[in-house]
Amino acid sequence: MASKSRWATDDDPETEAILAQRKREKDEKRRAKAEKQRQLDEQQAQAQAQAQAQQQPDPDHPPKKRRRLSNDQDQEKEKPSQTPPATSKNNEPTILSFPTQEWGPCRNVANFERLNHIEEGSYGFVSRAKDITTGEIVALKKLKMDNSPDGFPVTGLREIQTLLEARHQNVVELREVVMGDKLDEVYLVMPFLEHDLKTLLDDMSEPFLPSEIKTILLQVLSGLDFLHDQWIMHRDLKTSNLLLNNRGEVKIADFGMARYYGDPPPKLTQLVVTLWYRSPELLLGAEKYGTEIDMWSIGCIFGELLTKEPLLQGKNEVDQVSKIFTLTGPPTPQTWPEFRSLPNAKSLRLPPTPSTASSTSSPPLLPRTKFPFLTNAGLHLLSSLLALNPTSRLSTKACLAHRYFREDPRPKPKEMFPTFPSKAGMEKRRRRETPEAPKRGQEAPKLDFASVFGGEQGEQGEQGAGFTLRLG
Amino acid sequence: MATPATSGLKYLSNALATAEQLSNSSSAIDGVSPDLEASIRFAGAQLTQTAGILLRLSQDIIAQAIVTFTRFWIGSEGGSLRIHSVKDVSAAALYMTAKLSFQPTSPRSVLNVYTFLLSKEASPLWFVNPNGSPDKPTPETYHLTEGGYQAQRQVLLRTESIILRTLGFNTHVALPHTIALTYLQTMGVSSSAVAKRVFEHLNSALLSPQLLYATHQPNALAVAAIYLSAREVGVKLVDSDWWEVFDVDREDLGFLVVGMGSMEGFARAEVEKWKGRGVPMTADELDGEMERRRMMQEGE
Repeated sequence: MASKSRWATDDDPETEAILAQRKREKDEKRRAKAEKQRQLDEQQAQAQAQAQAQQQPDPDHPPKKRRRLSNDQDQEKEKPSQTPPATSKNNEPTILSFPTQEWGPCRNVANFERLNHIEEGSYGFVSRAKDITTGEIVALKKLKMDNSPDGFPVTGLREIQTLLEARHQNVVELREVVMGDKLDEVYLVMPFLEHDLKTLLDDMSEPFLPSEIKTILLQVLSGLDFLHDQWIMHRDLKTSNLLLNNRGEVKIADFGMARYYGDPPPKLTQLVVTLWYRSPELLLGAEKYGTEIDMWSIGCIFGELLTKEPLLQGKNEVDQVSKIFTLTGPPTPQTWPEFRSLPNAKSLRLPPTPSTASSTSSPPLLPRTKFPFLTNAGLHLLSSLLALNPTSRLSTKACLAHRYFREDPRPKPKEMFPTFPSKAGMEKRRRRETPEAPKRGQEAPKLDFASVFGGEQGEQGEQGAGFTLRLG
Repeated sequence: MATPATSGLKYLSNALATAEQLSNSSSAIDGVSPDLEASIRFAGAQLTQTAGILLRLSQDIIAQAIVTFTRFWIGSEGGSLRIHSVKDVSAAALYMTAKLSFQPTSPRSVLNVYTFLLSKEASPLWFVNPNGSPDKPTPETYHLTEGGYQAQRQVLLRTESIILRTLGFNTHVALPHTIALTYLQTMGVSSSAVAKRVFEHLNSALLSPQLLYATHQPNALAVAAIYLSAREVGVKLVDSDWWEVFDVDREDLGFLVVGMGSMEGFARAEVEKWKGRGVPMTADELDGEMERRRMMQEGE
């Protein structure tokens, strides 16, 4: 025995026998263990195969569309059937089942007990109510039927149509539509949320913390991202249309202005979006516009969250434009080449363009002094949302990926969000002097923007902010 | 919570009639026999299609209007032909669908077109004017007076609200036409003859007495139309169970192919059946037809 050790030679055969015996025992143990492991593996494989077979009809997991060709299957059968369940799975087609939807007539509003009045929006009255059968608290929104010569208001129809299709955790859920005894009594049933951001900001002594602003903004953006993906424009984003519950969840509400859009964009009314949140291209009379108008509103909401006050509180369309240009600086041929061709831009006399204007495609940064507590990334995001040129405004996807949301302080987890006493819960609200969303059917005003930059201010454009503003 | 997969599918799918809704209709409860109901629904859908063409609406709007029109009559909680005139529901469905689309139209245009199509002297429709329309009908025979307009408008807008209430405001209709084109491209079928035939089948299926658009999802309708058209035109498709790739099983495909294939025969039989007579377009005309049938039965 070549492998014998030095000391072993000294040992007697008896010891050798014992050693051999021990070795055999060890080997046997190892074999048993290996056998056990193999059995265990087999069991696991079977369990897994079963789980797979069970998972197969799950409608939430769309099956792979690729089908095996028939000769593929034959080859598999020739192979020793080590994993029989997998082969049998491929023999039957996996067919995706569609979500089951039905239709049925509206229930009567008598199924709900009205508790208290919440608010009068531009398109209806909202009240808090209790579902008599389930005891659930909901918000009931009565649609305004303005006895129009065109029948059921198209805004109300669009609101219902878009809300029924937009199911997302950051979009308010339309449970059902109920009717009163008369054909013109139509109510939307939605979950009740304790706050809207506007009322909340009014009552807070300090603005939200940066981490809380990020949480709110991220939720609004992901809701809006979903809407834009579904070809829906909201067209009336503002803090009073953003609802917040006591679990830190934000939901986009009030789809009275929402509608489907197409590519290329159809000709649409310019009378959308509440004045303070209305984008410059709408104010200047653009007939074709897209989802960028919602992004401008997001920028205004961002600014409002930071300062607790609406960012651009114009008294009328002309004043709104001048307030915008005061904040962002006037448009230049570099930052917004198409701006001159907009209908209302013709009456606008701009101050001489400063020759130092940068020719970069990214919009200029907003003045630092206006937002002293905002980080550089935050200021960049805000400036790209409030870019005058709609084509340089960020999309929802770009915003969601923005570095502002990844730097410290991180967005606060929803569970950690503070709670507030709910005004809508019991008390009647104060009416605030926010301008209302534009009424449908009005003529788009022909605006004269001649006074925006205070007429003949001529050559003294070099000092100060580049131009001066004459108000009133 | 809808997963991303199913919420995306919602856009491509429709609400379907339940078994309970299919086994019962409000009109049947009111004593309208199934064959009469099918005839009136078929004529009403054709009326909607023709009116849509005269209003220069695009076919996707017309198709959605016909689906909405069809859904309205289904089920015991649906509308009854004895209460709501088929012509009013057709007009209101078309008006409402156009209102929500990129091509809205006015009540006056809609009512002018319907007055023309329902004129017993001027109408080109076989089920309204069995004698056939004269080459140049006199305008007096299809003129809508101002008083008539005011009265009709009230009915139109009221019917619109009734449709909305009956359907629970579910106005979403996904159509199979674009899906079919995508499927054809996926399979590498470049024959425009097949594509044309597919659209013809899909548009005829809107009029089907088997309510195909209310019982099957758009992807199934698209697949069946492709299968049938490829056979008719003589284009060979891939050699396997390709319909399963588009999530349609063999049984549904077979049913739909038979249903679509039988449309022509059904349409011819209807024309033959109503030869020389008009199909009732109002609740009153329906009452007259039911009375006539009762008398005939008693006479036998």
